Amino acid sequence: MPTSTNACGWWPLIDRTAPANAETDRTTSKRSWSHHLVEPVVLFTGLALLALAAIWLVTLNLVERERLAADRRAALLAVDMAETYEAQIVRALREIDTTLKLVRYSLDDRPPHETLEDLRQRGMLPPALLFEVRISDASGSIVTSTHDTIPEQDASPAFEQDGMAIGLDHQEASGEDNRLAFSRQLADDEQDESGRATLLVDASYFVSGYEQETLGEQGVLALLGANGTFLVRRSGDTVRTGEQVDHDALLDGNSALDEPARVRVSEWDGVRRYTVARPLFEFPVAIVLGLSEAEQMGAVEALEQTYFRRAALTSLIALCVLALLGRLSWKLRRTQARILEERLSHARRAEYLAFHDNLTGLPNRAFFSHLLTNHMQQARRYDKPLALLFLDLDRFKAINDSLGHDAGDELLQEVSRRLGQAVRESDTVARLGGDEFVILLPETSGPSQITQVANKILAAVGTPFTLVGQEFRITVSIGIARYPADGEDEQTLMKHADVAMYHAKEEGKNNAQFYSEQLKSDSLERLALESSLRKALERQEFMLYYQSKLDMQTGRIIGMEALLRWQHPELGLVLPKHFISLAEENGLIVPIGRWVLYTACRQNVAWQKAGFPALSMAVNLSARQFLEDGLLRDIEGALRATGMAPELLEVEITESMMMLDMPRAVGILHELRKLGVRIAIDDFGTGYSSLSKLKAFPLDTIKIDGSFITDLVGSASDRSLTEAIIDLGRNLGLTVVAEGVESAAQVDYLRRKACDQIQGFYMHEPQPADEAALSMRRRIDGAFPP
Amino acid sequence: MPSRLKRIGCSLLLCLVSSVALAEVVVVVSAQNPLAKLTRSELADLYLGRTSRFPNGQPATPVDHRENSPAYLAFYREYLGQTPAQVKMHWSRLIFTGRGQPPHSLPDSKALADFVGENASAIGYLDDAHLDERLRVVAID
Repeated sequence: MPTSTNACGWWPLIDRTAPANAETDRTTSKRSWSHHLVEPVVLFTGLALLALAAIWLVTLNLVERERLAADRRAALLAVDMAETYEAQIVRALREIDTTLKLVRYSLDDRPPHETLEDLRQRGMLPPALLFEVRISDASGSIVTSTHDTIPEQDASPAFEQDGMAIGLDHQEASGEDNRLAFSRQLADDEQDESGRATLLVDASYFVSGYEQETLGEQGVLALLGANGTFLVRRSGDTVRTGEQVDHDALLDGNSALDEPARVRVSEWDGVRRYTVARPLFEFPVAIVLGLSEAEQMGAVEALEQTYFRRAALTSLIALCVLALLGRLSWKLRRTQARILEERLSHARRAEYLAFHDNLTGLPNRAFFSHLLTNHMQQARRYDKPLALLFLDLDRFKAINDSLGHDAGDELLQEVSRRLGQAVRESDTVARLGGDEFVILLPETSGPSQITQVANKILAAVGTPFTLVGQEFRITVSIGIARYPADGEDEQTLMKHADVAMYHAKEEGKNNAQFYSEQLKSDSLERLALESSLRKALERQEFMLYYQSKLDMQTGRIIGMEALLRWQHPELGLVLPKHFISLAEENGLIVPIGRWVLYTACRQNVAWQKAGFPALSMAVNLSARQFLEDGLLRDIEGALRATGMAPELLEVEITESMMMLDMPRAVGILHELRKLGVRIAIDDFGTGYSSLSKLKAFPLDTIKIDGSFITDLVGSASDRSLTEAIIDLGRNLGLTVVAEGVESAAQVDYLRRKACDQIQGFYMHEPQPADEAALSMRRRIDGAFPP
Repeated sequence: MPSRLKRIGCSLLLCLVSSVALAEVVVVVSAQNPLAKLTRSELADLYLGRTSRFPNGQPATPVDHRENSPAYLAFYREYLGQTPAQVKMHWSRLIFTGRGQPPHSLPDSKALADFVGENASAIGYLDDAHLDERLRVVAID
């Protein structure tokens, strides 16, 4: 089913978009990355990274600045403090030296202890709380002291040098050496050993300026002796004396004067410190000051931690905000995408509906028109002829009207399924509307192949259906137009296929016809007919011709057949075969049929009134008219209105009309019978009805089709058939009428075979009412032709 | 064992002696000095070199006993809550940084009584056994 796949899934309307897409691919890929940038995920991840980078760059920069500033502060502070310490030490040493010099100067003939006591009482000695002053003789024995001294021997160092000697005071008794001893020789004469004045003070005195607030727990204040011994060193509350360190290394590593202190690892405890070590100018000692790097930078590190925490918090907040924004944006995107998708699918659906038939899912007229144009282009390009089949279901209106629209719809669906199955994959089936279908055969080799397809379609459609519980047959008429032979544009091609289809209808339906130029002129006539047919009734363009029927025995006119003619203002006289099918299609057959009945009945009565004998009046019923509900009412109405006797009226129906829906046809015929109307079968012998079925119908008359009569003399088969019909009619008790009698030979033959009545040009051709009356009069007056 | 016992006995005795002595150490000024009482912190300020004037604005000259004498130990423990080492460290810092001099120390209670009795600006402390009419006991609260 080529087109049913279209019904399930939408296929692109415009196939040529594919290469165009490939072309645009390159440009879209170029654009794609800038497109990706605005993707929420990418955009917000990027923003987040930027924000994080900014936050952390600023933070690290700040921290670095703070660190540098703190470093410089500590280095400068160390120098500053070292200078203060140096000044304090120098002042303390000078005071001590002054005291020693004062003692030496004051010594006179008095005993030394009196001199000391005198000085003490005058307040010229430093406070006894901290300072002890001793005098010893040349042998080192202590002569006197401001304090109650334990050792007998002065163990304080005696340097062979001028000026004040400085050293640790070793106290052998306690093993402690936590006092510093400062001494001077009492005699100016350096050659001789002389006594000494010594001042002793706790070593901690020289580091008592240690401020915990500035120096911390790990800072250092120290006095370094010339020999590399720490006279005293304090860190925090710990005071040490007598430690040995590398004197030169400590002093050499020092920075220049007024320069910020450098960080060095202290040799004695491994702590990193901003260290300043300076030898004193006047005394053989050096001061050492150190600020612990860890402690000095502790505040900065705490600040750093704060900065880092803040940065982390800010980062977190930024990330949260961006994540939230990102999520919102993503949601918005998704909603937009969904709306777009909905619109798109809606548009697709709308497009699908716009291009497909609702009922069958087949392409509709608009879409087919597009497909046809495309295929015609292809056919032109590759020089491949294509064929267009125009299909119209026969008698669909009658079925739709009698079984209802739902059954009609079901029928159309079934037909579309069958059409789909009857053609190839590459063929296209479409529904133009109503009961009209078109089939496009894009690749055809020639007429024989097309005919084959058409026959297949005819067979497929013609297979019986079951609709609303009844078995049914429907046929189709097919018109075929070929491209490019029958038309080079879509409109022409469609029109010509349509023309061919009408020709198929005229050719008795259930067949296929190729278009030809001849048909075209016919169809032009038909088109004109169609437009003027609607106005024909009110313009009173219809008229009845009458043809007489003669009794074979007496030669008398015993009846008339009313024949419809259309006096077209331009075309002249138009025969029913040219417009009845048209009238059936558009429904005009009903009012026209009614008019025929009334007119025929009125004429019959008029003739009786004019003195003619009571003649029977035969009226032809069309298929649609026969099945119309209003038929009986119309016949009754005509009889009543004209006052014509019912038994004079004879309705003529065709074989095929009876066979179409036999039970119904039988019912209608019985109804007619009840009215007293006579019933004749027209064109008998041309249909497919079996003779045996005739018994089922309440008939009065059989009319042998004129085609048999025409060749009666020449054709043996026609003769035998005619004889058989005459015999059958006689056996069934029916009146047998021969139509189309044109010669005396035929009349002779029929008379021999005891045919009941004859009708034909040989006696009378159909004539308008007044002419018929004249002929009748002549016939009645004159003799029967020999 | 006996030596350890003896040492413990000695310590106990010392404690007893010093507590008896402690109970008797009083802060004194000259009878000419109108100062009747001082707070502990005012007393500490005077003895730790934080001020050189009495609360009434008159100049003050605090005097000490010899370091480690019973009165010295008792005074600093009882009135200032300081050990001798703490006092020494305090003055060590002040002297080193050049911000003051410790109170003048006198050899015995008699010398101190004499000094305070003769100086209206003086303030000292001693066993109440050494009190005389030239001195006035200052109430410390």
